[in-house]
Amino acid sequence: MSQTTPTPAATGDATARSGPSRAGGFGEAKRSVGDWLLGVLCRSSAGVMIAMLVSLLGVLTWSAWPAISAYGLGFLVGTEWRVNELQRPVRDDAGKIIFRDGEMVTETVPQMFGALPVMYGTAMSSLLALMIAVPLSFGAALFLVRVAPKLRIAGPVSFLVEFLAAIPSLAYGLWGLFVLAPFLQEYVGPTAERWLGGVPWLRWMFYEQVIVAGRLIERPIAMTGRDLLCGSLILAIMVLPIITSVSRDVLKGVPRSQIEGTLALGATWWQSCLGMLRYGRSGLFGAVMLGLARAAGETMAVAMVIGNNNQISASPFAPAATMASLLANEFQDPGEGLHRPSLLYVALVLLVMSLLFNVVARWFVVGKGGGVSAAH
Amino acid sequence: MMTRWIRCASLAASMLLAAVAVASSKDVRLSGAGATFPAPLYTLWVSEFQKLHPTIKIDYRSIGSGGGVKAITDRTVAFGASDAPLNAREIEALGGPDAIVHIPTVAGGVVPAYNLPGVTAELKFTGEIIADIYLGKISSWDDPRLREINPGVTLPRLAITPVFRTDGSGTTFVFTSYLATQSPIFAGEIGAGKQVNWPLGQGGKGNEGVAAAIQQTRGALGYVEQNYAAANKIAYGAVRNSKGNFIRATPATMSAAGEGHSDALKGTVFQANIWNAAGPDAYPISAFTYLIFFRNLDNLVDAADAEAFVKFVRWAVSDGQKFAADLEYAPLSPEVRAQVESVLDRVTHKGQPLSTAK
Amino acid sequence: MSSALVRRRLFSNLMFGVCISCAAGIVSLLLMVLGYIVWIGFASLSWGFFTTVPTGDLSDPGGMRHAIEGTIILLMLASAVGVPIGLFLGIYLSEYDSEWYVTGPVRFVADVLAGVPSIVVGILGYELVVVPISRLTSSQVSYSGWAGAAALAFIMIPIVARTTEEMLRLVPRSYREGSLALGATKAQTIARVVMPAAFGSVTTGVVLAVARVAGETAPLLFTALGSRLLTRNPNEPFPSLTLQIYAYATGPYPEQKRLAWAGILVLVAILFVVNLAIRWAAHRHTRQRTA
Repeated sequence: MSQTTPTPAATGDATARSGPSRAGGFGEAKRSVGDWLLGVLCRSSAGVMIAMLVSLLGVLTWSAWPAISAYGLGFLVGTEWRVNELQRPVRDDAGKIIFRDGEMVTETVPQMFGALPVMYGTAMSSLLALMIAVPLSFGAALFLVRVAPKLRIAGPVSFLVEFLAAIPSLAYGLWGLFVLAPFLQEYVGPTAERWLGGVPWLRWMFYEQVIVAGRLIERPIAMTGRDLLCGSLILAIMVLPIITSVSRDVLKGVPRSQIEGTLALGATWWQSCLGMLRYGRSGLFGAVMLGLARAAGETMAVAMVIGNNNQISASPFAPAATMASLLANEFQDPGEGLHRPSLLYVALVLLVMSLLFNVVARWFVVGKGGGVSAAH
Repeated sequence: MMTRWIRCASLAASMLLAAVAVASSKDVRLSGAGATFPAPLYTLWVSEFQKLHPTIKIDYRSIGSGGGVKAITDRTVAFGASDAPLNAREIEALGGPDAIVHIPTVAGGVVPAYNLPGVTAELKFTGEIIADIYLGKISSWDDPRLREINPGVTLPRLAITPVFRTDGSGTTFVFTSYLATQSPIFAGEIGAGKQVNWPLGQGGKGNEGVAAAIQQTRGALGYVEQNYAAANKIAYGAVRNSKGNFIRATPATMSAAGEGHSDALKGTVFQANIWNAAGPDAYPISAFTYLIFFRNLDNLVDAADAEAFVKFVRWAVSDGQKFAADLEYAPLSPEVRAQVESVLDRVTHKGQPLSTAK
Repeated sequence: MSSALVRRRLFSNLMFGVCISCAAGIVSLLLMVLGYIVWIGFASLSWGFFTTVPTGDLSDPGGMRHAIEGTIILLMLASAVGVPIGLFLGIYLSEYDSEWYVTGPVRFVADVLAGVPSIVVGILGYELVVVPISRLTSSQVSYSGWAGAAALAFIMIPIVARTTEEMLRLVPRSYREGSLALGATKAQTIARVVMPAAFGSVTTGVVLAVARVAGETAPLLFTALGSRLLTRNPNEPFPSLTLQIYAYATGPYPEQKRLAWAGILVLVAILFVVNLAIRWAAHRHTRQRTA
């Protein structure tokens, strides 16, 4: 970039020398109070941002430290979440309860916290949601990029999809609680049970096994409508718009020449679409990761429809809990001991997980996928 | 310019005078915090008492039993309220059993509420059956054990969905404590506490969340506070007590559960677990709710404050009890009330006993 | 024509139809959800909703005036902090990019913070604002409007910063260079040339961020807590439209649930109008510029 000629009024000043070729390349010298003030304000806001991240990680780790030091990484595979102590009757080798002086002999089983049930709930609900949402989103994105422009409806449909993303999760929660859950309880659950309940290899879907006093009991799962399935469906509806709009942007970035090349080689419409999907695969992977990040962190809608039962269960018709819904339900008035630090440990795990998903997603979407604006 | 300064100065002076007037008025201000279960009653007591004694202003904040215990331990309030009796550790933190007064004010109960479309009769339960429902051993409403104690009621073949509370509460504490006495397996697997690990069922937050879950799920069985169920017309069942009678929770039956616990008083600490009580009319899932304060009310500045406070408590356990039944709380039985009043005689302020006038 | 080709063509047509139905499916899902909200919410809406406050009465629970005012005040408080910080940060990332070794990491941090689950932000607000205040004032737990606004501002800042940065980058370099050539300082250039040029789109970004934050519930659960009283004092537990809707919706009282539907209709309607207005303004703006 060539140098501009300094005007007489600015002799000796370092006027707009060509800076580095970035947007907003400026000269170096600050010469006025306004410059100094603006510089201070802008740099301190950057400091605020750093402070926000540091405080987030620091405060959570500090407050969760009692639980971290007590359980370590075993917290992530612990299956029991129990705030109270138990007085478990001691049994002899034959399995009968021991009595002494007419009183049962009991041992005290202390508090125990483990995050595996909520991590399982988060993982399963997010994965199920993605399984439903990703094919729909990719199909809709292909429609928006290949078909809609010809029909002139790309604009309105895109607007609708983005508005879907802006609807607060509370609205989906209300709809899920009052419309979808009763529907699942009255129609879907009983119908599924009637048709599929007899299939032997689907038995895990309709019967659960409970261990009571060392014995295994199998009992049918009650269809309440508020279960893992309902939570996953609501999450699927919520991640549809973000995956669709990011995928649309990625696919828009596929060069026309690629598409025309495949068509010239005799590909059908669908085969050229496959070519597009393959070309933008890293961006599309990033879109899916963004959806995953959103699904994992979703709180309100999930807490309203997932049943809030902190146990691992194989069936989608059983109630479950996610990390976010556990926090929403239990953080208000924690019990004694390690309850609150354990909740904060869960919050820390949730935070780290979402951050990881977001970072990976952005790397794929903005970096490799190419050309997609980061303002998503 | 001068007039503006004069106006400012006179405004400031009048405000100062008003402040001094307020500060030197003879109003007594007391604060308390704690359990949410008795909050409606305590709020009513405070306003009724203020009608009789307009200069005594008491403020009660319902922040949960745990918060109340912490507040009185930190001495930020005059009295704390708790649904669960204080355990040994909490009493030590307050200075030991001789340093505090720990008395019941009213009793309440927890009821089994259910949603069984088509069944209008009031159902009967036993503690063992309820425990087995929550453990998973009983999975359908037409289970033989339920049919056995409910003859004449056609119980449908419908899955039972147990409903529980996700937040920590005295209601769960009372319910699980009772079930633990009825089923050693329950005590060993689930146990008693303000918050426990339920193996199956749906969770709801607060009485409202549990009631909503029961409403929305066909075949649900959950537990809520008795006065909450009564106020909101939720169907609940009767439970068999230790004498074999099926008792429905009412203020009378919950008061009856509080009788016969005169040996529960140790010094100034009255703690009694009145679930599974022995009386023939006692409702088995009952509990006291407690007021906790210091025996030496030195945390209150004036002797006048201390006297006012003791006056309030005396009024609450005697005249105030009639308001309890109106709100579906169970008043203290006469012998418990007598014991509580005798404890109040031993409250002092800075070493001086307080006057025992009502 | 070989049968393989016929099969491929047939399959392609089938997938064509599948794609159309995917898009149609998403649109109809949206319309279904919106439809219920409009249908049930509209039936429960009345002027009383906006003008009355909660009574204690379960059969006639009053309105949500306290919650609407509460949300407005929370948004004002949050924007007062969040918008300036976000704007300055956006300016920093765009205009001070010569210090790339700082702006690069800061941009990364902003992207990362934009993805924090809102419940975690609420917990941070509890630990950083509610707990210290309660220790300092030795009261029990001090939920407050300040804490709620702080949590909302935390969410707002990265969003405003990134959209501001993107919009400022779209302003051509020639604007800046021309201004500097005329002797303006950097601050003058930014304030008098760059920002006004990007004014429309930056405002769009800010409005969208505020709208996004208006619909948040989780960050307010442990900070503002919610209240059934009409209050303008942020020192105490503070009401919010989202919190009130959540409390009514998860309770068992039918009249309150109807109010919850009305409330969510109001919220979604406002968001719809804002989004539409933004889109229309942007559309008009680009038409003007390319005309």
